Amino acid sequence: MIVVDEYLAIRSLLGMLPDVLPDEQLAITSSAHWRLLQRLHAPSGGQLSQALAALPTPDREVLRFPRREVLEVVDPRPLLDEAAQIAARFGNTGLLIAETAAAGLAHGRQLWFGNPRNIGTRLREIADDLNIAIHVAA
Amino acid sequence: MSTAGQDLLEEFRRQRRSGDPRLTPEGREILTRIVMGDLADEFADSLAEISASDPLLGGGPEDRPD
Repeated sequence: MIVVDEYLAIRSLLGMLPDVLPDEQLAITSSAHWRLLQRLHAPSGGQLSQALAALPTPDREVLRFPRREVLEVVDPRPLLDEAAQIAARFGNTGLLIAETAAAGLAHGRQLWFGNPRNIGTRLREIADDLNIAIHVAA
Repeated sequence: MSTAGQDLLEEFRRQRRSGDPRLTPEGREILTRIVMGDLADEFADSLAEISASDPLLGGGPEDRPD
C-alpha cells in the first residue's frame, strides 16, 4: 500500500495517475480525507468553491465514499499510538502530520504527493528524521 | 501463458488504475482542473487554510522538546 496526498488521491479516482507512481494499492489518511471533505462540505469562496459547488451529486459521492479497489482510506486506529508518539517527540505537530508520518512508517517508509506545496516544512523534517522517503509525482 | 492468479492480479491492477467509473464527464473536468489545472494552487492554499484553522488537525506553533 502507498500513502498519497489529496492530489494523487483525486488523480487515482480520475484514473490519471503519473507513470512514476508504483503499481500498488493507494491510500489516503483519514485526516487528509477529512481536509478534502471539509472543503467539499464547507466551501470558502473563490473559484475553487464555485467549482466544487458545481460538482454533480455522483461525483461528490465518489469523493465522500471512494471505492476501496481504487482508493482506500487508511484506518487511523492502529496508527494512533505511533502518531501520538510522533506528535510528542516532534512537538505539537497536529494530527495531519503525525498521522501522515505514522502511515508512511507503516506502509513502506514512503509518502507520495501530487503537489510539492502540499508537503510542508515540518513534515519534510520529520520524514527525514524517521527515514521516510517523500516523493513528488506532479 | 498466464495463470489464474496472474490474471486476477492484472484485473486488480486495471481496477486501481482505471479510476472510479461513477465520475461524470462534468465532474471529471472539474476535478482535473482542481488537481492538474488552473485551480491547483488555490486547492493547495485551501488545504493549508483548513489545517491552519484547526489546532487539532494542524497543530500549533512549533514547540519542540530540547
